[in-house]
Formats: sequence, structure tokens, C-alpha cells
Amino acid sequence: MRIHKVMIVFRKDWREIRRNWQVIMPVVVIPIIFAIFLPVVLGSGFNTSSASGQHTNMTAFTKGLQPSVSQEIDGLPDNQAVSYIMLLYFFAPFILIIPLMASSVISSDSFAGEKERKTTEALLATPLTDSELFLAKVLVAFIPAIIATVVSFIMYSVVVDAMFFPALGRLVLPNLNWVLLVFLLAPALALIGIGISVIVSSRVKGFREAQQISGVLVLPVLLLLFAQMSGVLFLGPFVITLLALVFFAIDAVIFRFGIKIFNREELLSKLG
Amino acid sequence: MPSIEVSNLTKRFGNLTAVDNLSFKIKEGEVFGFLGPNGAGKTTTIRILATLMSPTEGSAVVGGYDILKEPLKVRETVGILTENPSLYERLSAYENLDFFAEAYGIESRKERQKKIQELLEFFGLWERRSEKVGNFSKGMKQKLSIARALVHEPPIIFLDEPTAGLDPAAAKEIRDLIEMMSHKEKRTILLCTHHLEDAQRLADRVLIINKGRNVALGTPEELEDRVGGTPQVEISLSAANKKIVAAVKSVKNVVKVSAAAGRLIISLKNPKSTTPEVVSAVVKAGGKILSVNPLRPSLEDAYMKLMGEKNENS
Repeated sequence: MRIHKVMIVFRKDWREIRRNWQVIMPVVVIPIIFAIFLPVVLGSGFNTSSASGQHTNMTAFTKGLQPSVSQEIDGLPDNQAVSYIMLLYFFAPFILIIPLMASSVISSDSFAGEKERKTTEALLATPLTDSELFLAKVLVAFIPAIIATVVSFIMYSVVVDAMFFPALGRLVLPNLNWVLLVFLLAPALALIGIGISVIVSSRVKGFREAQQISGVLVLPVLLLLFAQMSGVLFLGPFVITLLALVFFAIDAVIFRFGIKIFNREELLSKLG
Repeated sequence: MPSIEVSNLTKRFGNLTAVDNLSFKIKEGEVFGFLGPNGAGKTTTIRILATLMSPTEGSAVVGGYDILKEPLKVRETVGILTENPSLYERLSAYENLDFFAEAYGIESRKERQKKIQELLEFFGLWERRSEKVGNFSKGMKQKLSIARALVHEPPIIFLDEPTAGLDPAAAKEIRDLIEMMSHKEKRTILLCTHHLEDAQRLADRVLIINKGRNVALGTPEELEDRVGGTPQVEISLSAANKKIVAAVKSVKNVVKVSAAAGRLIISLKNPKSTTPEVVSAVVKAGGKILSVNPLRPSLEDAYMKLMGEKNENS
């Protein structure tokens, strides 16, 4: 595989994507929703419920988490402690959904879009190998997705720190858990989603069909979210690293499979 | 060594045989016309030769490379104008050509720039190089697609309907370009077309296919002769009379003469040797000749007749 050839297709696709607001919108909007809207709404929601005199059962909230978490919230009033646990622990798996959602339009569009715009034949006639084409299509979805995730994380950290710094007198983000989530688990998981979406995109007739099938990919991440909230699973550094290793192994299998079943003829026969 | 050698090429899609045991050779620098009705298997054959599809049976060597063993080398050697323009409409004309030039291996930016400018200027698109292709007319897109096929200066070019969607002036420019590329630059051109006059004017040889099968292969003249029957010559005179008609009839190898309004239509054998004798006889009989034209069936006549015969036989 020649990386400079991969980058030729990557640059071409990125130029096209930049000029297509339908594709670029999720990459921009999803980080804003996650990093600003979610913490602000959650924070203000719990402040309001506390102000109205409702009391929160903290034991129920922290039961699935490690004992050290109780030390972290020491000194915080109950309403802020709830927000803290929600924003730093329960919703941590949300960061894993960002790359999947941000990239789903790009990865679904990868080959299906070329088919719909009838550009497949000229692209396939170029002396690029199957693996170069496949990897280029994965990268063009992966890089914006990871940028969106990192930018979300930075904005989220700023908002969360702004909320808790006055009470705790320290910065709560970034911490090791989140750094591992953002820089290890999120890319590993994103590659699974993007790899599958690109394979689907190369084997269906159009973009909509590809996106409908790829939309299902967010579901396993929601399982992680519920597992963390219910206390079944705690995403600590060890679990995150272990999951990332498993996901990277799955990535390798998906890539090998994707390149193996990549078929120029199949792509042409699906032209509308 | 032939530039393209196709041996017993067959392509089946389920029960449908799109290309049926096709064999032919194309010499270097030759313009090879590929004619046939819609669905005859022309585009499928081009796709197989461009390594976009694999044959069910048979093989082909393109530019010295086996299509099954060295598809990447084949793709480097070939420039292809596809049925659809296959252009990125959100990119500019320049960006489109730049992408394909780089994908085809022109790594130097300067070299790409020079080649792209040359092509866009030739096709009259240089002034609009920064405009998005989505805003281009059908004819402009067709020109840009041809430029894309030529951007890496391939020795072998597959052109699928190159004059489709072009106005007469632009179509002439393309025909001139094809002639120049074949005669001066010795590039091999496989020309798929419905325009029989394009094939007649440009093709050194023509292959007519129907339902994936070889119907006829030869130079346009050979195909015309195959369907032409007895050759005819037309002589226009300032005035025709019985004496002139009698003089022509007396010439050896003249089969039939008909005269009408100063025009003689003469059916004859061995036209190359008989025509000068006929002209001489007319002059001796006092006829004043305005013009002498051999009457040949056109490639269109040949095509229609050959296709008709094939349909009757199948």
C-alpha cells in the first residue's frame, strides 16, 4: 500500500466534503450539542431540582462507581455532586458516540455517494489499489471524526471545569479516564463503525440505504452507556485499555475483510 | 507487437452473455472503431479491457500487460472516457484534472500544472478552470472528461462516445484531436461510437458487434465492399446523348448504363481499370465531363445491412 496514493484520494474527498454542508453539518453540530448543550442543561437541571427542595439519594448514585469517586465529590453540595457524577462518569461513554455520529454521513457517502454522482467508473479506472481506495475512504471519515471528538472534549472540559472549579478549587478535566476514552477507545471504536459503514457503502446502491444500515452502529455504544449508569461496568483505565485492545483487534479483522471483499465489478454493477 | 490483443473474451451476467467469445487485435497507432447497437457489449468489453471487470472466460493483453495478472499496469497505460462524464461536480475543472493527474502518477506539481493548462487551453476551458464543474454545460463536461482521459498522456485511449453532447464545431475539434493523436503521436485508440460518420472518417478498422458477438471486422472500405454489390461510377455531363451512352456501353467490363438529366450511372467490374476507359470513351464521343464520382455504399449502409443479416441469422 502506498500512503501518498491514499492521501491523493483523501485530499480530493476532503475538498468535496468541505463544500457539502449536509455532510459537514454533523461534524460541527454534534460537538456543540455534546460539549456545551449537554453539560449546561444537566448542570442547571440538577441545580433547579435541588433548589425546589428535592433531595438526592447519593448512595444510590455512587453505588456502581469506585469508592474513590466518593472522595472526589467530598465538599460538593448534593446537587453539584450529582452533576459531577453524571458529567464525569455516567455520560463519559457519550464521547464514544461523537466520532460515530460525526462520521456516519461521510462514511455512508464514501462509495455510495460516488455511485449516486456517477463518478465511480473514473475513480476505479485509476491505478489505485483496492486497499488504497478503501483506506482513503476510511481516513476521510476518521480524521474529521477524531478532530470533532477532541474538540468536543476540549470544549466539554472547559465547560465542566468552569462549573466545578469555584466549589472544588481544582480542574476536574482532563483526567486519565477521559484521556484514555478520547485518545484510545474512541478511535478504536470509530474505526469499527467507519470500517463497517464504508463496506456497507460499497455494497449498496445509494447513500440513504448505506446510512440506514450504518445508523444501527450507535446501538452497541448505548449499551456501554447503560452498563456504566447501572453499575454493571465501570469504565476505569484498565477496562478502557482492555476494551480498546479488543476493538483494535476487531478493526484489523474488519479492514482485512473489507479489502478482501472490495470488488470493483460489484461497485460498477450497483450503479444506478 | 499488437497494442491490444483480445482472445476469446466472454462475459456473462447470470444467464445473459454480454460479450461472447470476442477476439481481435489492435495495432499501435491504430484507431479501432467499435460499433454496435445499444446493449451490444461495447461498454462491457471496454470495462474488461480497462480492468474494471474481469472476464468470465478468455483473456486480453493491453499495452503488453495481461489484464488479469497486471491490472494496475494496464490502468496506468490506459486513458478512458467513460459513458458518463464521471466528474466531481463540487470540484473545479482544474481540481478534477489535478486529482486524476496525481492519481495516474504525475507527482510533480509543475508537470501537472503544465499538462492541465495545455489541455484546458486546447478545450477552451482555461478561463473557467476555477469554476465548479456542476455549473458546466453538457458539452463542457464532455470536453473535460476527454481532457481527464488524456491528462497522463496514455499510449492507449478508450473513448466511449467522444462526440456525444457536443455541438458540430466541438465535435470536429475532437475528431481532429483523435486523428492527431493517432497519426502524429502514434497512440492507440479504441473508439466506441454510434456516429457512423465518425467511424468512417477516423477508424482504420471497424469491428461491428451485436449481442456480444463479432458481426464483421475490417477497414471501412472492406465492409462497404462486402455489402456493395457491383461497383458504380457516376459521371456528370454538360449534356448526355445516345451516342455517349452507346460509347460507354461498348467499353469492356461495363455491365449497365443508365442516363438521366446529364448524369450517367455506370455499373462496372474492376472500377480501377475500367473507369479511365469509360472516361476516355465519353470524351471521344464528344461528351463534356463535369465530374466523375465512384458510388460506394457508406459505412452506414454496410452497418445496416450487416446488422440485418445477423438478425436474420440469429
